[in-house]
Amino acid sequence: MSARAWACAGLVVVVAIVLTIVLWPRSATPSTSARVESIASELRCPDCESQSIAQSSTPTARAARADIRRRIEAGQSDADIRQAYIDKFGESILWKPESGGIGILVWGLPVAALILGGAGLAFALARWRREPRLHATDADERLVEQQRAAE
Amino acid sequence: MRHRVRWIALSAAVIVAALAVVLALQVGDDPRADASRSQLTGTIAPSFDLPTLDGTSVRSADLRGKVVLVNFWNSWCAPCQEEHPALVEFFERHADEPGFAMVGIVRHDTREAIRSFVDEEGVPYTVAFDPGSRAAFDYGTRGQPETYALAPDGVIEASKIGPSSLGQLEQMYRVAKGSA
Repeated sequence: MSARAWACAGLVVVVAIVLTIVLWPRSATPSTSARVESIASELRCPDCESQSIAQSSTPTARAARADIRRRIEAGQSDADIRQAYIDKFGESILWKPESGGIGILVWGLPVAALILGGAGLAFALARWRREPRLHATDADERLVEQQRAAE
Repeated sequence: MRHRVRWIALSAAVIVAALAVVLALQVGDDPRADASRSQLTGTIAPSFDLPTLDGTSVRSADLRGKVVLVNFWNSWCAPCQEEHPALVEFFERHADEPGFAMVGIVRHDTREAIRSFVDEEGVPYTVAFDPGSRAAFDYGTRGQPETYALAPDGVIEASKIGPSSLGQLEQMYRVAKGSA
């Protein structure tokens, strides 16, 4: 077996492993506790700084975790629960802004700025490459002619 | 070439300006942009059944038909202490009105500290405790003081996050009473 064949076989094995990991069906639906933890970690603690409801130990955060559990047990989806918290506390309760409505600006503006900046940079680079930065003046040309004539 | 650069710059400026206009309009229209009001204003107030300082209990259901002022507070918060005289004066002005009730719900404080505050400063209206902070959570409070004016039908007609002046309390009361 040639080295190339070995390399191809190795590549196929690596791709197969990666696909298996990515596409392997996830184990059963997450437990209630896991969902409480997941949702609580997406929500800011209403009455403390820089902590999620999952991290905080304030009475309000504890009440919120209990409320999330009750809502899950009542059959609400994660999206329903998040919306209930937005309705109660406003969108600032979310750690990450929503990807719809006004929140799209928060996500979209940096991307738009990046695209515009990249396009501008590419345009400028192409322009610089096309145009030589130094131009010979008439005096330069005369100097070169004189030098050549002297040789 | 120079014209093309100008057009690109102009297009970028127009896009940014359009986004800024959209942002300004959206923020201006969003009632949640007003940080001094509760998100729950205009909705039915959460119900509660809480133990009081005097050993009884207060149930929101029993207060239906009245204009109710609900104030979240505690003994250690400086803005609550600042607001306290206005709350007392407001209550004394309206205490005799049959269609009026006022409840101060303790948020994150001990019974001993509240008892001491009440003995020293005087709190003439109902003082209720909130075990498990359920009422504070249900009202979507983010701190204290926060004040809610409930209409007789139980709708939160006005709210104030932060200390209220006597004038603001009267204004909230008028709004809640007027909606009946």
